[in-house]
Amino acid sequence: MASMDGYFGSYVVVVVLLLIGVGIFAGGLFVNRMLRPDRPTPEKLMTYECGVDPVGEGWAQSQIRYYVFTYLYVVFAVDAVFLFPWATVFAAPGFGMTTLAEMFVFLAFIALGILYAWRKRVLAWT
Amino acid sequence: MIQSIDYSAVAVPLILALTAGLVLLLDAFLPARPGGGRLLGVVALGGVAVALAVLVAQAVRGGERRTFCVPPSLGSAASCSFVLDRFTLVFMALVLAAGVVVVLLSMAETSGGRVPVGEWYFLLLGTLTGAVLLAASRDLIMLVVSLELVSLPVFALTAMRRYDGRASEAALKLFLVSVVSTAIMLFGVSLLYGVTGSVHLDRIAAFYASGQSAAPAGVGQGVTTVAIVLVLAGFGFKVAAVPFHFWAADVYQGAPIPVAALLSVISKAAGFAGLVLILTTALASQAAVWAPVVAVIAALTMTAGNVLAMRQRHAVRLLAWSSVAQSGYILAPLAAFAGVPRDAVGASVAYLAFYAAMNLVAFGVVMLVSRARERNDLDDYQGLAFHSPVAALSLAFSLICLAGLPPGLAGLFAKVVVFRAIVDGGLGWLAVVMAVNTVIGLYYYIAWTARLFTPLSTGTHRSGSAPVAVAVGLAVIVTLVFSVAPQVVLSAVG
Repeated sequence: MASMDGYFGSYVVVVVLLLIGVGIFAGGLFVNRMLRPDRPTPEKLMTYECGVDPVGEGWAQSQIRYYVFTYLYVVFAVDAVFLFPWATVFAAPGFGMTTLAEMFVFLAFIALGILYAWRKRVLAWT
Repeated sequence: MIQSIDYSAVAVPLILALTAGLVLLLDAFLPARPGGGRLLGVVALGGVAVALAVLVAQAVRGGERRTFCVPPSLGSAASCSFVLDRFTLVFMALVLAAGVVVVLLSMAETSGGRVPVGEWYFLLLGTLTGAVLLAASRDLIMLVVSLELVSLPVFALTAMRRYDGRASEAALKLFLVSVVSTAIMLFGVSLLYGVTGSVHLDRIAAFYASGQSAAPAGVGQGVTTVAIVLVLAGFGFKVAAVPFHFWAADVYQGAPIPVAALLSVISKAAGFAGLVLILTTALASQAAVWAPVVAVIAALTMTAGNVLAMRQRHAVRLLAWSSVAQSGYILAPLAAFAGVPRDAVGASVAYLAFYAAMNLVAFGVVMLVSRARERNDLDDYQGLAFHSPVAALSLAFSLICLAGLPPGLAGLFAKVVVFRAIVDGGLGWLAVVMAVNTVIGLYYYIAWTARLFTPLSTGTHRSGSAPVAVAVGLAVIVTLVFSVAPQVVLSAVG
């Protein structure tokens, strides 16, 4: 197992860092609790919600339609990941027309998803 | 700078992917009419048939084609990510032939109006694309991506029957199991890449063949062992091998029957293709590490599958555990890889092909019966031979094949091939375990077959569906051909 130290050993740094992080956070809270006076009132125990009295429970429902927009965002975000590096090189010597056309083939496939969403009335709010 | 792509080599997955896009567009732009779903089914079927025709043409022309290659200037030798060799062609043929049957079964499923048709065929074609790509993948990244392409649409397909509690439960279970297994496998894959410094299977093989002389400092055999175990565990989930088998019955039962057929044949074939590629191509010289693990997993898988199948009262659940047991038989020859490398892989692939044909017959008939009887218990099959003799004979034939008894020669040949590989590889104990399991399997296959021929008075039976009948017919013909001329498969894989 000694030979494994070099490879897995590098993960020890990650673990130590994690422990230090947890230690600082927990220690701060602990010291705070030790030093402060503790005189709870109902108002103090109430959940803080921007200074307004809290309404409803912790489990709140939100409009399911936002979920679809999240998906559409992911579609755009993913193609942006490929577009940025492509934009820096496609004009460079050695790439040319093929590189330009290939990206549009890719974009056409992405557009298929948007087209589908539009036809299935996902983009309409009402 | 720019890779040249051999489009004729990637034609099969390309056709499937373009058909998927076409189906999605047709669904989005055609006015909604009753019967519009049938057109989409025909388009999907046409796409799979064209892909199959192209595949046959490629097989007839022969020779090995490769594309997406890294030039030798970027490493030791030219390595290709997409290779169309005999192994790939056999797997692609299996997937596409099974795809035809599954599309035909889907036509009956979607005609009920309970599922959105366009999405159904789009996702189905997506899975098929992933499965054919996977067989051709020769690098780790492409393997993982195509395995995901196989898995992701199946969750949605499983959940497609909306407002059905069982289907949603099955989809969620499949999703969680699949995501966890992918995470485990990716960790193994990342370790492999870390050790070998390459994602191409041939370069990984060269690294291990050279005695790991190029390993980074401080990296020992231990890291490779961990990687192998993680990769095995990941694929173990996909092919429902023990101890990662528990999801099979619930998911198969909850999913629509065409999807259960897809899971048990196409998704399983894809899992095995990936497993065989990684183990016997990239990690061939590490067989001493993985072969004993595979042997134990195979023995446990066939035993657990058979024992659990004996207790089932529901047709699809029984087929689910039976397919787990069959996974064990497919895994078993791989354990003998160190002794007889060529025969081991050949036996595994041959068994998979035989299994696919006979299992699809069973699922086809179950689909027919389920249209008349929603519960689909084994008791619903009582007396089937008297009101629909053709269906009953087909099911009886496929069950006897799965059991491996003489009239069903396909199953018998498959088992003989596997036994020979195991015994030649010197794994006598595994052969004994498999023999005992074959006997256990006889019990539930024969019990079900006997039910078909038991007279029963309540004979209300609705007429079947044409596409399903065609699907069963095709699968029966293929199984019969395999029974009469098993050398069709054996020479293709050998």
